[in-house]
Amino acid sequence: MQKGFTYLLAALILLPFSLLLLLSLAEGWSFPSILPDAWTAEHWSRLFQLDGDLGQSLLLSIGISLFVATVATISGFLTSRFIAYSPFRERYLIMAYCPFVLSPVVYAACIHFFFIKMGLSGHIGGVLIGQLIIAYPFAVIICHGHWNERIRSMEQLVATLGGSRREAFQKVILPLSKGILLVCFFQCYLISWFEYGLTTLIGVGKVQTMTLKVFQYINEADIYLAALSSWLLFLPPAILLWFNKRFVFREVNVS
Amino acid sequence: MYKALGIRWFLLLTVLPLAAGLIYALLYSLGLAGILGNGFTLAYWQSVFAEGVVWRSLGYSAYIATASMSLACLLALGLVIKLRTAFQKGILSYVIYFPLAIPAMVAAFISFQLLGKAGLFSRLTYALGLTESLQSFPDLVNDFWGIGIIFSHSLMAFPFLLLLFLGTYEGERLGELKQIAKTLGAGEGYISRKIVAPILLKQNFAAILLYFIFVLGSYEIPLLLGREAPQMISVLTIRKLQRYDLLDKPEAYIIALIYCVLVLTAMVISLRRSKILQKN
Amino acid sequence: MIHCERLNKRFGSEQVLEEVSFSLAERETLSVLGRSGSGKTTLLKILAGLESADEGEILLKGQRINEQSPQERGIVYLYQEALLFPHLNVFENLAFGLRLRRTPSPEVKRAVEEMLARLGLSEQASKMPYQLSGGQKQRVSFGRALIINPKVLLLDEPFGALDVETRSSMQAFLKEVSLEYQITAIFVTHDLKEALLMGDRIGYMRAGKLDIYDSKEAFVQDPRTEAQSEIEFWKRYQS
Repeated sequence: MQKGFTYLLAALILLPFSLLLLLSLAEGWSFPSILPDAWTAEHWSRLFQLDGDLGQSLLLSIGISLFVATVATISGFLTSRFIAYSPFRERYLIMAYCPFVLSPVVYAACIHFFFIKMGLSGHIGGVLIGQLIIAYPFAVIICHGHWNERIRSMEQLVATLGGSRREAFQKVILPLSKGILLVCFFQCYLISWFEYGLTTLIGVGKVQTMTLKVFQYINEADIYLAALSSWLLFLPPAILLWFNKRFVFREVNVS
Repeated sequence: MYKALGIRWFLLLTVLPLAAGLIYALLYSLGLAGILGNGFTLAYWQSVFAEGVVWRSLGYSAYIATASMSLACLLALGLVIKLRTAFQKGILSYVIYFPLAIPAMVAAFISFQLLGKAGLFSRLTYALGLTESLQSFPDLVNDFWGIGIIFSHSLMAFPFLLLLFLGTYEGERLGELKQIAKTLGAGEGYISRKIVAPILLKQNFAAILLYFIFVLGSYEIPLLLGREAPQMISVLTIRKLQRYDLLDKPEAYIIALIYCVLVLTAMVISLRRSKILQKN
Repeated sequence: MIHCERLNKRFGSEQVLEEVSFSLAERETLSVLGRSGSGKTTLLKILAGLESADEGEILLKGQRINEQSPQERGIVYLYQEALLFPHLNVFENLAFGLRLRRTPSPEVKRAVEEMLARLGLSEQASKMPYQLSGGQKQRVSFGRALIINPKVLLLDEPFGALDVETRSSMQAFLKEVSLEYQITAIFVTHDLKEALLMGDRIGYMRAGKLDIYDSKEAFVQDPRTEAQSEIEFWKRYQS
């Protein structure tokens, strides 16, 4: 009984993904039929056309997300240390939570003026900075809990054993922080990878990342390409989480 | 030296844009900035308060967020109580993570393909003879009650909450608490209602509230699955901002300001009351 | 060996150390007894260079070291927790200080193997810290400090987290190695018996002030140390 219910539930959760896959392989799907009228690999082949805009969007998205995740993770990791040990720790943390809870698109609306003034509106540079403004505070939130008494004691121990701060960082802190760095990188990657509102506003629709592509296809009522690009958005995080679940799941109350 | 540099980087990326953005929005709404900046005026604020669109939008957003979170919490609680072990090993322990890899845009698209008039559910009811045509299938997307929006948000939130609850279940040693309650003579139903559910909800209150705030400000899902009126707060702000009627722009900033002040106040209060800011 | 003159330290409005002065000869162990919050840890951290004193002077072999960084002092501070590096095995934990000093590999190998044998941990060389018992971890922690020949060893309740039996065997072990390696040490504890057992001399710390006793007898006689009430307690059950 419970076993049957388990499989039913798993099937229900997988239903949307199968539906998207079927759609991306369909050549037509008129109303009452439960399955597509005919199959085709044509939508998928568009991905590999060199001058095709879909493939370009995919590469652009990967590039933007890798950049945002790298900069946010490295600077978030390093600066969260000062924040964690600061007497104003609580104040800084509340500030870090601000961009995290605000709707990115509303936040973008308020700061768009400054991007226009700096000539960054409609440019990839503006999108990178805009996404960084969202991802970086989140990296600080993720990393600050890592700097606890234990890590601090280890740093001090290395010092009394004769190691410099640089050696303490290289030989002890960095190896101990691999896990948190990976989680942080992946979370920031996802923020950028999933981001739509801010990207479309600050990029003025010109920086065509994958989420913008999905929206465009939906608007053009091209549901087959919309389904295909949805799959492309879902696939990379899904593959990573298959290898390690904790990358995707992270409690909001990181502490 | 590094410390000063690090803190400066933090202030530059976190505090400066937020402060600048809020100040700009305030100036714009008072007629002191932008194309319409002809000097100080309270006219825009007065017209926003007179119109009532903002309050309807805020109320609607709160309704959507409350409904979505209640549904997601109920579903997650029910599954943790009834099927906990199934999520710890076997197929569900993998599958439950997949929905977390769906962006909001895709979730909205999926809901459309499932609930729309030509969607999968409509085809199934037709095949079963429950509906006679496309038209006789009820409006589940772009509908008045926001069913499509609530459906999408609940589906995105419930796996997250479920995993959160599973973690708390272990961390708070609920299994042992349940055994104590049993030896004291409590039945299964009583334990679920009076011990398990309250502990899970209370321990995760801050996380649930933060998720509530996310739903409140969500953009892509109501953009695709919502109606012309009422609109959720983010959609309303951007629509007003992008209208050709220039008088709408100051109103967009006023709405954004009201939203930001409400959300940030709620966040600060809940953070201060939760354990998040405490040192470990 | 080490001499402190009128050390003062405040945290905000709280006077953590008040006019602390004492001397410690070479190869001598000073036990410092005191309740939690009496300033013992702060004193050790100031000696190690991890905190700085507001006033006063610290001399090591006659040289003022107040301005020296922890790295230069050659004073190792050990915590209650063993704090082994979790990403390194036992061998590499012991070798850590030598590798920092760029000691050639064959020499590191020889020194670590010798230390492993002395600690009775030769079998555990390639184990990771989480595979060790509490007492074994604490031994590695001592070995990691001893191997670099520190001038002074500062021990902050090193056995606080151990169970009673392990604790007494570790006390005997530490006594043995400090004789063998001719260690100069300050041993902080809140356990009366342990203080008497480990120290050549005894100090008592209350509210930031440190009293050093001329002899163990003087320490036991002082009613404030509560040694007397302890004796009275056990007398009640005699014969």
